Amino acid sequence: MAFLTDRIAIVGVGASEQGRLPGSTSLTLATTAFKRALDDCGLDKSEIDGLLTMPGSASPEGSLNYLRMGETLGIDPAYTGSMTMGGGTAGALIQMGAMAIACGLATNVACVFGDAAKTGGSRFSRASGGTDSWGIWGMFAAAANSAVAASRHMALYGTTSRQLGEVAVACRRHASMNPSAVMREPITIEDHQASRMIVEPFHLLDCCLISDGGVCVILTAAERAKDLKQRPVLIAGMGQGYTTQNLGREDWWYVPHQKDALDRAFAMAGLGPKDVDVAQLYDNFTMSVLLWLEHAGFCGLGEAGPFVEGGRIQLGGELPVNTAGGNLSESYMEGWLHVVEGVRQMRGACGERQVEGAEVCLVTGRGMTLNCANAMLLHPA
Amino acid sequence: MASEKPLPELGELNTPFWHAARAGTLAMQECGDCHHIRYPISHVCPKCLSETYGWTALSGRGTVFSSIVFHQVYHPAYKGEVPYNVSIVQLDEGPRMVSNVVGVPPSEVAVGQRVAVVFDPVNDEIAIPRFRPADD
Ligand SMILES: [Zn+2]
Repeated sequence: MAFLTDRIAIVGVGASEQGRLPGSTSLTLATTAFKRALDDCGLDKSEIDGLLTMPGSASPEGSLNYLRMGETLGIDPAYTGSMTMGGGTAGALIQMGAMAIACGLATNVACVFGDAAKTGGSRFSRASGGTDSWGIWGMFAAAANSAVAASRHMALYGTTSRQLGEVAVACRRHASMNPSAVMREPITIEDHQASRMIVEPFHLLDCCLISDGGVCVILTAAERAKDLKQRPVLIAGMGQGYTTQNLGREDWWYVPHQKDALDRAFAMAGLGPKDVDVAQLYDNFTMSVLLWLEHAGFCGLGEAGPFVEGGRIQLGGELPVNTAGGNLSESYMEGWLHVVEGVRQMRGACGERQVEGAEVCLVTGRGMTLNCANAMLLHPA
Repeated sequence: MASEKPLPELGELNTPFWHAARAGTLAMQECGDCHHIRYPISHVCPKCLSETYGWTALSGRGTVFSSIVFHQVYHPAYKGEVPYNVSIVQLDEGPRMVSNVVGVPPSEVAVGQRVAVVFDPVNDEIAIPRFRPADD
């Protein structure tokens, strides 16, 4: 068994309200989430000695967020830091926290995120590029990178916009069963097709929300987790993968490092795609879910379009994906709520949207210019 | 105040690229040691870490690698431009670059289509390389 397998448990999860929350800041939202995660696990604030944070898009202090957060929450940690990997941050921080606990640098680690992106006016419209910005050619915003992937996937494998729509429809149906979700009105493929174009081939309903909110995830050692309030959820395997190359790498658009991250997580856990009962797959855009499905081996190369048809990724289907609604419909917490939903599914606490008898959940994250990927396999203790 | 489109900021590294473009040539850095032609522009070869390089003229020909169309205005200077095409062009000599395929409706640009560079002059120092459909 690998060194980290089943050694670390996620014992507390907490989220603030989500959506448009005028008057909130990344710090107020993170504080709410932190308090709720403490309540969830039953630990006292004084017992949190690890603090790992992700600055919100509207946080002026940037990667010094760990200092601001520690000061705000009144914590002098044994171990701390911030990371800025966009949608790859949640998973990367949780994995870092797990390593810190396993190596004896901290006992109970809180991973915290808050962002007032909606009221703060964040539009995630930055242009990527190197010495010369891609903005010189009008290529702006996160949507463009995933649209490049979708365009090429469509050309090579015949993937269609309607198949992308299947992802949007599934996420929205799941959000309709989630009282905390921001967008709960069910949609159809026709609604997806009729929504306005953003960056072709993406319609509006291919794109995630922009949200205010905060999320906190608390970790501890598996043996200690038994004494806390909730049924512990163990991290069976974890893995990461990165490409720092963008156009310099021919397969950058296909995000091959996602497969690396998944292979590493599956190997650590001693599990494979057939063992996964439910998956929370990072969905900044619908296309991302298709790529995860291929990289995880749920289907073959180029086959994710047909795979998502017929409700296969909906609750009741073969592989329910993003059972709380995902970034597309629950709230855009840059993947942090994917972890929360993964934990709740493994606790069996999801009510109407619980996947009956689910014992293994895959959670993935990805951020920046498609660069940063990670995966975790969760299961109940 | 009228907002302006982003333009390259000319520095030591990228001035040869933009001056070559203004003179009608697509030029990129070729490693002096391993001869890898690199893009984006960098002081060092990402293959062999050599800092010796020269500028080499490319054919300006390539193939559309991926093609997207902006309908959303993400930058105020593009308000009157949407919808417009952005394509990744696979150049015949190896590198890929972000550019625009022009001269055809933006949604009709097809992955795999052959293209050739054209230069769109902006001022005395800068012409932006874009691409038009080509026969070969
Ligand atoms: Zn070299």
